[in-house]
Amino acid sequence: MSIEIRKAGLLTLLVAGERTGFRQLGIGPSGAMDSFAMRVANFLVGNDASAAVLEMHPPLPEIIFQKATMISLTGTGFEAMVNEEQLPLWKPVVIGENACLQFKSKSSGRAYLAARGGWKAESWLSSQSTHLGVHAGGYFGRALKKGDVLETNNKEHLGHETKIFPWGISSVELDKVYSPQTLIRCVPGVEFNWLSDHGKKTLESASFTITGKSNRMGFRLVGEPISMMQQIELVSSPVDFGTVQRLPDGNLIILMADHQTTGGYPRIASVIKADLPKLAQLGPSDNITFMMIGLAEAERLFLSREKILAEIKAGCREQLNKYLAK
Amino acid sequence: MEQFFTITSLSECAVLVSFGNQIDSILNERVMDLHRLVNTNPFAGFIESVPAYASLAIFYDTRLVDQQKGNHLTAFDYVKSLLERWSEQQDFVAPPAPARIIDVPVLYDGEDLTYVADINQLSVQEVISLHTAGSYRVYMIGFLPGFAYMGSVDQRIASPRRQTHRTLVPPGSVGIAGLQTGIYPIASPGGWQLIGRTPKMVFDKSKDMPCFFQPGDCVRFYSIDEIEFSRCNEY
Repeated sequence: MSIEIRKAGLLTLLVAGERTGFRQLGIGPSGAMDSFAMRVANFLVGNDASAAVLEMHPPLPEIIFQKATMISLTGTGFEAMVNEEQLPLWKPVVIGENACLQFKSKSSGRAYLAARGGWKAESWLSSQSTHLGVHAGGYFGRALKKGDVLETNNKEHLGHETKIFPWGISSVELDKVYSPQTLIRCVPGVEFNWLSDHGKKTLESASFTITGKSNRMGFRLVGEPISMMQQIELVSSPVDFGTVQRLPDGNLIILMADHQTTGGYPRIASVIKADLPKLAQLGPSDNITFMMIGLAEAERLFLSREKILAEIKAGCREQLNKYLAK
Repeated sequence: MEQFFTITSLSECAVLVSFGNQIDSILNERVMDLHRLVNTNPFAGFIESVPAYASLAIFYDTRLVDQQKGNHLTAFDYVKSLLERWSEQQDFVAPPAPARIIDVPVLYDGEDLTYVADINQLSVQEVISLHTAGSYRVYMIGFLPGFAYMGSVDQRIASPRRQTHRTLVPPGSVGIAGLQTGIYPIASPGGWQLIGRTPKMVFDKSKDMPCFFQPGDCVRFYSIDEIEFSRCNEY
């Protein structure tokens, strides 16, 4: 089973399970911007959570399926068409031989394309996720270009025609993850108490706009400057996906999937893991507001999200086993 | 026992143990000591730890920690109490592991070499002499894959970061920022004052251990000419 990229799109790259254990060498975990959409895309086609999937940033690519391939598409902010017919998202489907997959995308949102068996990908330091900085992992360490051919690890014969499977993830389930989309919950960061009372108030009440200088490394925000009690120089210290840093001009940056492992700006907040998927689905010119919650609640939300994912995985396995046994 | 560190949450999947906010080899040795300790005695759910100048981040699988947290309210509280208990048993000031001594050749022809000399009212030759006279501790790896933060340079060659970042600094470039010195392991945007370049590859993705430097290493620089640079150029 293989596909050919007919139009590259803005940034189409292979992401997979995180590269853990190498932060101490300055090598971050990479992985998906929206790990919920990435993992669910895998579960829908019977893969493990960490199998390589295509992460696609708008404008989205155009893809030709050389053989019939079982896939799933997840994410937000786009519609998918196969040979000009609309394709449902968050559902397993078989795309027929020689079919062309096209998208209509909004300015923000990221799409994930998983194939049954996983896309063939290079592993680097125990992860198949592309590391764009050192050009390693994924598809020759780079984003896909026009003419590139990507293969799956699956050898099953799935017929020739496009087919839609009768189960998927409900919109009720998705709303729990993605709405309200612009309200981003945080826990206080390591240097939260360096903020002035006014700065803390601004952080919780003002609206911030994601700027065009945003990418897989970080989202830069503009808005009312956040004031500090005093400017203290911070020696470089570890950061994480979701760390909100305050820049010297008072604006904020949220570190995303390809973040550096350490940084020297005050870490005033940390976006909770459960809200990173919806944040990852936003982009330039989208507005967000922050809501501070306690660490106990953040942990509870994290655990309940992981539980939901485990249930989705089990549910998908059961459905697939039933269906493919027929 | 007096507690000489603070423990805060970095996220709901990591704690940050902070020993201070200075570039100081004694603080950094405590960081490395705790880093070694947690890696040799990992608690259930431990994923990885990240040493920095004066702080250590400890990443863990919140699901696994949650299962054993017992009476603690949160997974964070459990990890925190575990670390506090350790600190009662030992003080993180064990004798440091013997440092590897690494000699690094440098062709001192960096674009900012004259600037570094000028702001410090030195000649270019004096900057080179002072940079090669020191031996530097690798305090931490961060910013880029394999980027070793080393220090401290002689006060007389300390230099502020550039006002404007270069969009592309070639790999092997040797720079100064404040009292720190370092080598760019891969091409990257950067704001350090560039004083030279090394022909040695300090990052090689094809190796099992892709990074040349490790925290705790002792690094010395020596000056080479262009002929020597071309002879041992690994790029």
